[in-house]
Amino acid sequence: MIKNYKLEITTIIVLLGFVAAFLMVSSGGTHEFTGSDDIGSDKIAELTGVSVDSFAPLIPQYEPPSGEIESTLFALQASFGGLILGLVFGYWLGQRKSMPAS
Amino acid sequence: MHIMEGFLPWQWCLVWWIIAIPFLVMGIIQLRSMIKKDREYLPLLGVCGAFIFILSALKLPSVTGSCSHPTGTGLSTMCFGVFITSIIGAVVLLFQALFLAHGGLSTLGANMVSMAIMGPIAGYVVYRLLKDTSVNIYITVFIVAVVADLVTYITTSLELALAYPAEVGGIVASFTAFFAIFAITQIPLAIVEGCVLALVFKYVIALKPELVIKLKVFSEEQISKARKNSNSLPETGVKV
Repeated sequence: MIKNYKLEITTIIVLLGFVAAFLMVSSGGTHEFTGSDDIGSDKIAELTGVSVDSFAPLIPQYEPPSGEIESTLFALQASFGGLILGLVFGYWLGQRKSMPAS
Repeated sequence: MHIMEGFLPWQWCLVWWIIAIPFLVMGIIQLRSMIKKDREYLPLLGVCGAFIFILSALKLPSVTGSCSHPTGTGLSTMCFGVFITSIIGAVVLLFQALFLAHGGLSTLGANMVSMAIMGPIAGYVVYRLLKDTSVNIYITVFIVAVVADLVTYITTSLELALAYPAEVGGIVASFTAFFAIFAITQIPLAIVEGCVLALVFKYVIALKPELVIKLKVFSEEQISKARKNSNSLPETGVKV
């Protein structure tokens, strides 16, 4: 029985390990969990000696007016992917069920 | 791994765009011919694209105390190759550049080269090396996903190091600094991504083994063997 779900069990163990590592690191209280993109941008500023705010966009860009709206848009992106995934797997499952077993 | 708008000098933006464009053109050509030949592949293409959409939207915390996101390009690379993956990756990056100020239009070429081209190329090389060996196919999917993810971030580090060499130590010192920021953070996330994509692949071959065989992702024997070892898969009545 366990052998049949080896991959599922492995994935759950890895996910639990990941969560445990996060809890351990975050309980230290010294990390802010900033995006690595932002840390990379800070590094560029450090290397060039120019502050992050001084980097002007070469092409004007829309910026979400707040962090909340940004997270809404990220959620929208993920939900769009989830919708397609659900549709396709549902479609395939329906196809399989309607097939006569040989 | 997104390089923000304005953070690369225009000359470098141009270089990365010039490298990215041929891949996009080839991707469009391959995509059109694939759709013309057999529309049955479209749902699988949807699944691969959906995973890139979902995973690249998730900013996950890592053990380094910063957050980053997986890329999800491994599955698409194995099923459809580098060129078509570059199109899917470009669509995701364009969405994020236009609506999320995550990356930018001028840096889109550089971001495409790292996430939609170099990551998939590395993943594809690993896939070709492991494909006809006795390595379990789920382990192959896992390794491909991990490599594609990590190489994406290594490429970003290189792109930034080339544009911004350190005063002391030059490109190498700068690459090491960016590598420490991006690639180290990414290791645990890449491992999680690899497990999730292997699991997804298990369900793809449970429901549509014929598609994976038709695309020659793995041989019929390899798929049969993997299905036999996973009795939890639903009975389909379809011979594989």
